[in-house]
Amino acid sequence: MSFVITSKDYINYINIVSKKIYEDRDYITDLDAATGDGDHWTNINMGFQSLVGASDELREMPICEAFKKIGMLMMSKIGGSSGILYGGAYLAASKAVAGKESIDSQELCTALEAMVNDMMMRGKAKPGHKTMIDALYPAVQTYKEALASGTDDKKTLELVKQAAIDGAEATRNMEAVKGRASYQTNKGVGHLDPGAVTMSYQIECLCDYIINNVIN
Amino acid sequence: MKKIINNPDNVVSEMLQGLAKANPSVVYSGVGIEVISRKEKKQNKVGVISGGGSGHEPAHAGYVGYGMLDAAVAGNVFTSPSPDRILEGIKQADSGKGVLMIIKNYSGDVMNFQMAGELAGSEGIKTDYVIVRDDVAVPDSTYSTGRRGIAGTIFVHKIAGAAAEQGKSLEEVKALAQKTIDNVRSMGMAMTPCILPAVGRPGFELGEDEVEIGMGIHGEPGVNREKISQAKELAGKLVGRILDDYEFTGNEVAVMINGLGGTPLMELYIFYNEVEKILTEKGIKIYRTFVGNYMTSLEMAGCSVTLLKLDRELKDLLDFRCDAPAFRV
Repeated sequence: MSFVITSKDYINYINIVSKKIYEDRDYITDLDAATGDGDHWTNINMGFQSLVGASDELREMPICEAFKKIGMLMMSKIGGSSGILYGGAYLAASKAVAGKESIDSQELCTALEAMVNDMMMRGKAKPGHKTMIDALYPAVQTYKEALASGTDDKKTLELVKQAAIDGAEATRNMEAVKGRASYQTNKGVGHLDPGAVTMSYQIECLCDYIINNVIN
Repeated sequence: MKKIINNPDNVVSEMLQGLAKANPSVVYSGVGIEVISRKEKKQNKVGVISGGGSGHEPAHAGYVGYGMLDAAVAGNVFTSPSPDRILEGIKQADSGKGVLMIIKNYSGDVMNFQMAGELAGSEGIKTDYVIVRDDVAVPDSTYSTGRRGIAGTIFVHKIAGAAAEQGKSLEEVKALAQKTIDNVRSMGMAMTPCILPAVGRPGFELGEDEVEIGMGIHGEPGVNREKISQAKELAGKLVGRILDDYEFTGNEVAVMINGLGGTPLMELYIFYNEVEKILTEKGIKIYRTFVGNYMTSLEMAGCSVTLLKLDRELKDLLDFRCDAPAFRV
């Protein structure tokens, strides 16, 4: 039997990752200053803090509705490219698990896959473009493979988490195709993509939360 | 950081409130929406809106007025506004003949404005858009995001705004905006970095004696970093790159010398004095010139040159009366 997560779990995880993002201000801003314009942390932090502020309301919703509300909040609070990409992704995840009060491991994987597909479509970006997709895409692929091969929940989530971390690390040697880093002569080679790093934080915290609090 | 602010989180709303108080011809939408629109709404006219991240003042709120924009939508500093804000701008500008959105070519702006257009469509408001990509520092490419939109955007506001004021249809206003985009080229350079209020320190360093040719209006790296030279050499570099990209020789042009926020008008006029000599020497006839801070980058020092190739039709629209807080013809 797979684990099952509810909106309460998801919002608990959101609170954990929001704290991690909040605390890593200087690190994220430094990464962004190297390739972007230095505002990634400000915007993503504003988005996650708005989710923290809406936690009580979000916890009481069916998870499909919570995803939708998260999407609307992120779209309007983060702004910029990240806002619409995260917002669109959560709206896509909401549709992918329509009608669900809670979701199991397979459905979580489906939701994450819907998110990465929406980001790729909307942002006209692919893996290898040095974006947050480089953390999420390999995590989703790993998740699908682990589910297909019947790997146990704990091991699956450990693999997913590692794939996201490795994916973010791999952006160091990539050339940016999208966003501000793409205007640099060296296309940001040698620097981690801050969007991929904050995405890997999310996958990491989500997996850790489920391993530590949901799986018995 | 030394800035005249209260709280970095409130700079956009407080700035727009001040702008509206100083200019009674426009109204402010309210905190969290961040739209400036005309107080007197004209009926049965194509609406023209623009917007983007803040930090480029007077763009875009300063261009709301007769003969120019109907509404401007502001995002956070250097960050695209979200679709809900843009939708509010569209509604403010709509009087039944549709709304043209003038978008600068940054992926965030393009995605957010496109989604706002879809939302407007689902509410029965017709919209269309054009994307400004005048910065010749960046290679024109379909593979990457391609050329950025910079100061040339002001000419697109002017031409589209005049066309809409004259009662033209959405299709006609769009075609004229696109013609302006096709005919306009810009090239800039920076001398100092800028500081985002929420970040508090410069995003990059530039040596005391260095300039960066081709730097973008968000501090995006340019094409070359070099020792600062005299005004005539700098003018030659910027204009040269524009003329390498597009054939202006033998044509009439409108010229814009745009300050990035931290460069005195004295230097902008000295710079224009050199640009004028180069253009005249190349057989390019200057029809009209604008010198000032039109599309800034916070306190960044530096400037850009924009050339717009004109024909009879564009001249008439450029000369059409315009009365916006930051642009009067």
